Formats: sequence, structure tokens, C-alpha cells
Amino acid sequence: MKKLKAKQNKIVPYFMSIALVATTTFLGGFIRGAIEPANIVIFYLLMVVMTAVWWGRYPAIMTSMLSVLAFDYFLVPPYLTFAVSDVQYVFTFIGLLAVGLVVSALASKTRQQAMDALGREERIAILYRLSKDLAASDSLEAVLHAIRMNVGGIFDCRVAVFLPADHGITPGSFDHDFPLDEHENTIAAWVFRNGKPAGWGTDTLPASKAHYLPLNTSQGVFGVLGVCFKDDKAGLDPGACNLLSALASQAAVAVQRAKLTEISRQIELIRETEKLQTALLNSISHDLRTPLVTIVGALSSLLQDFSSIAAETRKELLETAYEESGHLNRLVGNLLDMTRVEAGALKMKTKPCELRDVIGASLHLLKDKLEKRNIQMHIPRVLPEILLDFTLMMRVFVNLIDNAIKYSAPDTPIELAVEPLENKVKIEVKDKGFGIPEEDLVRIFDKFYRAVKPRQVTGTGLGLSICKGIVEAHGGQIFAKNNPDKGAAFTVILPLEVKET
Amino acid sequence: MAEPGKMRILIVADERTIRRFLKATLVSHGYDVFEAANGVAALKYAVSSHPDVIILDLGLPDMDGVDITRQIRERSKTPIIILSVREDESDKIAALDAGADDYLTKPFHAGEMLARIRAVMRRLLPQSEKSLFTVGKLSIDLAQHSVEVNSRPVHLTPTEYALLKVLVLNAGKIMTHGQILKEIWDKTEDVEEALHLLRVTVSNLRNKIEPDPDMPAYILTEPCVGYRLCTDI
Repeated sequence: MKKLKAKQNKIVPYFMSIALVATTTFLGGFIRGAIEPANIVIFYLLMVVMTAVWWGRYPAIMTSMLSVLAFDYFLVPPYLTFAVSDVQYVFTFIGLLAVGLVVSALASKTRQQAMDALGREERIAILYRLSKDLAASDSLEAVLHAIRMNVGGIFDCRVAVFLPADHGITPGSFDHDFPLDEHENTIAAWVFRNGKPAGWGTDTLPASKAHYLPLNTSQGVFGVLGVCFKDDKAGLDPGACNLLSALASQAAVAVQRAKLTEISRQIELIRETEKLQTALLNSISHDLRTPLVTIVGALSSLLQDFSSIAAETRKELLETAYEESGHLNRLVGNLLDMTRVEAGALKMKTKPCELRDVIGASLHLLKDKLEKRNIQMHIPRVLPEILLDFTLMMRVFVNLIDNAIKYSAPDTPIELAVEPLENKVKIEVKDKGFGIPEEDLVRIFDKFYRAVKPRQVTGTGLGLSICKGIVEAHGGQIFAKNNPDKGAAFTVILPLEVKET
Repeated sequence: MAEPGKMRILIVADERTIRRFLKATLVSHGYDVFEAANGVAALKYAVSSHPDVIILDLGLPDMDGVDITRQIRERSKTPIIILSVREDESDKIAALDAGADDYLTKPFHAGEMLARIRAVMRRLLPQSEKSLFTVGKLSIDLAQHSVEVNSRPVHLTPTEYALLKVLVLNAGKIMTHGQILKEIWDKTEDVEEALHLLRVTVSNLRNKIEPDPDMPAYILTEPCVGYRLCTDI
């Protein structure tokens, strides 16, 4: 705020006034014999008007008085004395002084109005710039940044914006050299509680390093603006003080708006989550109930008519119930895995593992289903150890191999290949089955999404999304494609060096 | 009340349905069954009823399953088979290290449970009776220090043989990483390094004795817990 500073330099105008009077007197000295001294008075009046317009009232009053004295001393005979030979000059003096005073009053008023207009214009421009920046800010963070940049730029000061926190307030955005310490924070907290300015330049705790203003709106206090001037000797003049509070109220509205936006965004998110959870719950309860229908049906008919049912049928009913209970168990397992994956990498227990061992254990789990299948393995004998969560990674391979079994004809082979790449290892599970429709290649990893539903294939639509979650938690990738000839191929790529998170 | 010669099994589980199903299965296989619904009763019966095997559900309402295992172990050597759900991995390992002999993940097959019971009982047999071990095409004679696959001798390094011996002596029973390390390597300064050595040894051993080392049939990996030597294929 350079203009506000220039105004504070108050001595210069008086020296300039003296210089003007001296110049006029000096020039008047040359012509004093040629013309009537009273005519020179006009030039003195010109100086008074100029002083009033340029520097305001008090320099103009001084110019008036100096003019009278200089005129009398240098230009009115007898020269170089204040004595006056002609009485008429007394009237000239009085006239000059009176006119000077009136003119200076009028001119300085005009000047003040012009100055005010200029100040208003500047203020409006500043506020306009801030409001433009604030309107362009789409998040609380951006709003805080805009406030900081604008206030800091206008006053050439360090700025901090404090926001309410769990206990009191906390600096939300601040210049790195803003004096943040416990004492300053206490003052900011006081301002927040009381809704009144405090700190440097006020009557409340003036010993602090920065000036604090509440960010007030009609809804309450939304934060605190801290301003720390670099030149800390100068006080806050009323103009700057007004401007600062105008900026603060504008900032307050913006902060309030940003907060409300954030809250509504959160509400929207909660609503979306709830919608998703309801859909999830519907889907899960349906999936849970389906096997139960079979189990309850088969067992109840056995209980009721045990002796009248043929031995073969009894066995069939029991087998159906047993199969479905296995399905139910897998479903519950998948749901638990899902929650574990969604809880994130925090729940992972990675340890160095032999990939061959993980795959072997996965195959062992599917032993019964694999018995009738031809599985071709291509695993190099020597593989570097890899950091994995053994059980989670097992879920990935079990799911992929189980899918390959389910989605391909029993007489077709399943291929499992491991190939070390640079810093990575690639695991591929290929089948010669139905394949995946092109448009589903990406979506099959979504929760509850199931591609083509061949008859007799049961699933929850969770397996692949769990796989994706687990692989990604290990810093790897998983994707699906169709083999050029027939069937689907799932590829898992795992980094050999997983960074500890 | 108990018939002589019959094996006595103590079932500890708070779920009535689980006890009922276990009892029905076990009784029909000729075992004598006692039941306890909580930890306090479990500790009492573990001593007073002299069971041959204890089946302990880790999820009891009144006491921590690992604690119960430890307290039973302080008083008797009765084999303990714990029942746990898949999510309780760390509890499972803690219970095994506290002295439990094996575990079953709920839900489990009745056949699997009976096999585990037979396996832990095998451990109680005198040493000489189990010096000869055969599974599939693999046969090990501990007295002769010989290992054969398809009736052809296999040469093992001393570490590989030591590992196989530990597994054979506990055939069918899960051996935790910690238990194996304690048996084979005396020094346990660097556990990570020792575990790495263990994995390498298992891998080499599989290359020598397994028909398909990519799909192990004899030495089974118990994820995150340890290894188990299969007793029947």
C-alpha cells in the first residue's frame, strides 16, 4: 500500500511550501520596482492554491502566513523590515491571509475528496480482485490460498488463516515465516472465541507479533485472519484498518461458502456410500440365501422322510447340501477378504515368500477340483523371493485358477506360467474356455460384476475385485485378455521389491 | 462310566451345535466324549477326566483360547487340537506355539478332524513304532537314515534330512516355523535369515522327493504357520 505510506511522510510538504514561497519572493524581488507590489500578491495566492491542492490544508495555511511575512519583509517598502510605510498594505496583508486561508480550506477539501475517491477506487479494486480470486477457488484450500496471497500482497505482510479444529483453532494456511507459536495461537483462539480483533495494533494483547481479526459472518465466526507486518513500528492507520476488516469479512463469507460446499460434498458422499451399501447388502443377502435355500430344502426333506427316501436319493440330497454349504463358506470368505482388502495395506502382513510355494499351496486348496483337470505348469526352478502376504496372495491364485476351472470345459487344459521380468514377475493363468466379451475385460474387476453367465456357474462377482484389491495393495497389476485362439488369460504382475509402507 | 480301551476326547466349545455335531461324529467313531462349554470347565476337565485328546475352540466367551492352551500345557501333555476361523491367524500361531498340537479351520470336514486326531495320537506312540514312515511313493527309515522315492534311494544333505526327520516324527501334525527352527538350527539370532534358510531347504527337499515340486503332495505348506508332512494320499 504505497499511497498510504507516502501520505505518512508529513514534513516534506512544509519544506516544499517554504521553497515555493521563497521562489515567489525571489522572482518578485526582480520585478518589485517595475510593478505595484500588490500585484505580486496574486502569485502568492497561486502558491497557496497549489499547496492546498497538492499537500492539503495545513501546508496551505503555512504558505498563506509565510507569504504574508515574506511579502511584507522583502517586497513591501521599507524592504528587509516588517514595518510598513503605507497603511494600505495592512489591508493587502489581511486580504492575502484571509483569501489564503479560505482558498486553502476549499482547495484542501477538494483534494481530500479526490483523495477519498482515489482511495475508494483502490479499495474497490482490491476487494474486487479478492472476490474474483475467491470466486475462482473451488476448495477450502484454494480459498485460504487466495486470502493469503491477496492480503499478503496488499499490505506487504505475512498472513495466516486459522480454522476451527477439535480443540480451539489451528493454522489452516500460513506463510512459512509467519510467527506461529503457542502465544500467538492463544491470541488467535481468543479472537475466535470472542469475535473481536486482538493482538498487535489493538488494545487487547498489543504485545503480540501479529494482528488478528475474526472471520465473521452472520452465521458466526468461521476462522481468524492473522496479519504480521514486516515493519512493525508503524501502527495501523484507520484506512488500512477499515480495508483489512473489509477483506476479512469478504474472506469470512468465502470460507463459510467453502465449508458449506465441503459439508454438502461429504453428505453427498455418505449418501452415495449408503446407496452402495444397500445395493451390496441386497446382493449379499441374496447370495447368502440362495445356497441356504438348497441346504434347508435338502436337509428338511431328509429329516422328514428319511426312511421313505431311496438310499441313492438320500446321498444325492446330502451331496447337494454339502456342495452348497461349501459355496456359502467361500462366499463368507470372499466377503471377509473384501473387507480386509478395503481396510487397505495396513492389514497386510508381507513376508519374503517363495512364489512357487504360494502357487503350490493354492493348488493344494483346489486339489479336489483339479484332480480331473489337466493343468500345465511353467515355473522356473530358480525365482527370487518376493515380499508377499502369503494368505492374501493365495486368495488371488485360488480365485484365478478356480475361475479357469469354472469357465472352461472339463476336458480342456489350464495353463499356469511364471516368468521373471526385470524387477518384476509375471504370473499368467490361461484357460481354453468361453473367454470374456471384449467390453467386459475391464469391468469384470468391478465389485459384483459378472460377465457372461454360463449355465451352472455360480459365483459372487467378488472374486476378481478381491484379486485386484490384493494385487494392487502389493503394488502390482492385474488384467484380463482373451487368448488369440480360445479362452481367457489373466495376468498378474508383481514388483520384486515392494516398498514398505 | 468310560469303557476300557476307548479313547477319551474332551470337546471345549461354547456353541451347542458345534459340540453336538462333534460329539455325534466322534461317538460314532468309537470315542468317549466329554464336553465343556467354557474355559473354566475346560481347565477342570482337562485334568480330572484324563482325556486322550482335547479339541478346543479358540473363541470362548470367558477365557482367551491361547491362555487355556498354555495352562493345560503346564499341567499335562494331552494333545490339543484347536478350532479357529480363518481370520484368527495370529491366534492360531500363538496357540500352536503355546503348545497346541494342531488346528482345524472352521468349517472343517469330519474326515479331516478324525485324521488330525489320529495324527496327534500317533505322536504319543513309542519312538520305535514310527521309525519307518511311508506315504505315497516316499518311504523313510529313521533307524537306517535312509530315504527312498519309488524304491530308489535319494541323497539328502544333513539339513534336509534333519528337516525331514522332524516332519516324519510329527507326521500329519503341523509344525510351526518356530518349532522347526528350534529343532534344526540351535541359534536363533537372526530369525529372518533362518526362515530364509528354512524356505530354501524345503524347496530343495521338495525338488528331491516330490513327484511334482510345483504341486507338493508330501510336504504341505500351512500358509504363514509352518509345514506338515502328509500321512495319506
